[in-house]
Amino acid sequence: MLLDPQFLIVQTLNGLQLSALLFLLSIGLSVVFGLMNFINLAHGTLFMLGAYFGLSAARAFDSFWLVLLVAPAGVAVIGGLLYLVLLRHMQQADPMKQVLVTFGLIFVGLESVMIVWGPLPHTIDVPALLAGSSTVLGQVYPTYRLFIIALGLAVFLLLYLALERTRLGAIVRAGVDNRTMVAALGIDIGLVFFLVFCLGCGLAGLAGVVAAPVFSIFPGMDMSVLILALIVVVLGGPGSLKGAGLGSLIIGIADTYGQVLVPELARVTIYALMALILIFKPAGLVPVRSGH
Amino acid sequence: MRERDPLQLPVAGLLVAIAGAAWFGAGYFGRELIAEIAILAIFAMSLDLLVGVAGMVSLGHAGFLALGAYATAAATVFWGWPPVAALVFSVAVAGAGALGVGLFAVRLGGVFFIMITLAIGQMFYAYFFKARAFGGDNGMAGTPRFDLSLVGLETGDPAVFAALMVAIAVAVYFALLLLVRSPFGVMLRAIHQNESRLASLGCPVRRYKLAAFGLGGAVAGLAGALMAQHTGFVSPDLAFWTLSGEALIIVILGGSGSLVGAAGGAAVFVMLRDTLSDGSFWAGLHLSKDIANHWQLVMGLFFIAVVLLARDGLYGRLSWIVDRVRSTRRGREGGSA
Repeated sequence: MLLDPQFLIVQTLNGLQLSALLFLLSIGLSVVFGLMNFINLAHGTLFMLGAYFGLSAARAFDSFWLVLLVAPAGVAVIGGLLYLVLLRHMQQADPMKQVLVTFGLIFVGLESVMIVWGPLPHTIDVPALLAGSSTVLGQVYPTYRLFIIALGLAVFLLLYLALERTRLGAIVRAGVDNRTMVAALGIDIGLVFFLVFCLGCGLAGLAGVVAAPVFSIFPGMDMSVLILALIVVVLGGPGSLKGAGLGSLIIGIADTYGQVLVPELARVTIYALMALILIFKPAGLVPVRSGH
Repeated sequence: MRERDPLQLPVAGLLVAIAGAAWFGAGYFGRELIAEIAILAIFAMSLDLLVGVAGMVSLGHAGFLALGAYATAAATVFWGWPPVAALVFSVAVAGAGALGVGLFAVRLGGVFFIMITLAIGQMFYAYFFKARAFGGDNGMAGTPRFDLSLVGLETGDPAVFAALMVAIAVAVYFALLLLVRSPFGVMLRAIHQNESRLASLGCPVRRYKLAAFGLGGAVAGLAGALMAQHTGFVSPDLAFWTLSGEALIIVILGGSGSLVGAAGGAAVFVMLRDTLSDGSFWAGLHLSKDIANHWQLVMGLFFIAVVLLARDGLYGRLSWIVDRVRSTRRGREGGSA
């Protein structure tokens, strides 16, 4: 099976598609973790909200591109409100309290979604432009899934340029490295946290909308992706863009091949991988912090 | 736990008295609930040993609960062992599992310890979810309860089983209390307060933490075995990380580090869940009884409130109130003399 080129091409593309989604999902989690030392367990909930906002937006507007813009913006607003009302006050709290407050938010989000959209699964149609199939290396593959891969790549490049070439990017990088020093230089690090947090939530929402036509939308879709996103963050190294990219790539490919080749142990090996990385390289594969 | 803790035993006595009164007053369903509370109390106390006493916040403790439950299921259903032998086996398996995990996990601290325990707990979940021998995601049924027919008791009767579970919970409580008050427990609390100081004094910190982690896992395995007996059923959900999260909430609600608080927290948690998911409760408040379908929303808000507001939990508040009453009374006596 492994030597069959058709199998390899299709599964690798499937893996890359999962990687792209995981990247969109985990980059916000990673930067927030790196910048604020804050683990947001409700990050998966924002992914789910993105999918549901996309569902409602798709019913309201005809244009898929508009949906792709509106739904993540809505999630970013929700994230911003959460930050201002609740999470901002949790930054100095000990990690257990941070984790458990966002744990409570998971249940609130889950039930809110059930109240508004009902317990049954939904789907969004693939936009007409991307509905067909394309041929990649002689293999027929759904165009929409290729679009997901391209989107993940585009967002990675955009974020890379923003981080490396803009003033805000420099502040964020400096904040991950040593936030006290950044604040001491007279920069309003709280405002930077807020903007980065909203952006990260928006990207999680984007992942949700983009995933919606491929997977079904249902209450609880947040749970499985949350743990995968956490694994990506730990694997790549909290706060690192390249780390999140690399981690997404590894987990996306490993999970896809694992599910096909050793279905009994697929997820077990991924969790074991996370445990091993935590033990031997707690700062991840691409450590960003110089230590303070 | 505080050095002088005069309330510990009276509160434990009060809880047992309430359980006893409830036992007499309750019907079939109520006694099932008492058994559930007693088992959850054992699980919560085992987590309190890690979190409240030794300062290790685990988000994967349910993994060892599941390990104990599945060990009992395997021993009784596959190999035909009597439930008592299976229980001992469960404790040994979960304890050994926790020692194996702890060997690596105790190297980490803070948020990384939370993450690694989460990952390992989920590893157990993923394994049991796919394990065909144990019925995969459907779980497996048929775990029997203790056989007490020799002394003329039928454990299938909720009255007998609930009383037995409360008795076991009390025994576990005393065992853990002795442990916490022993020199070993004092060391654990010292490590919790200032780990680097203890390390620089030459204390083998990791070995103490490993021992605590193993013991906590073993007691969680005991709770898992009892849970399998209670419901006659095991499923991968026993290992899911949200159960670990709920147990942490219970510990904080009751007052972390106070053991008896964790037991009380378990009672409050089960009663609250039972009340909130009951339509007639909401109807009684002149609200729509459909709110009961969304009880998890209220529960989630309750979790957030507990974490934000409960500084030292119900037990801590109670001690504070008793201290205040005592000091004002002492003040008044002093004034009149």
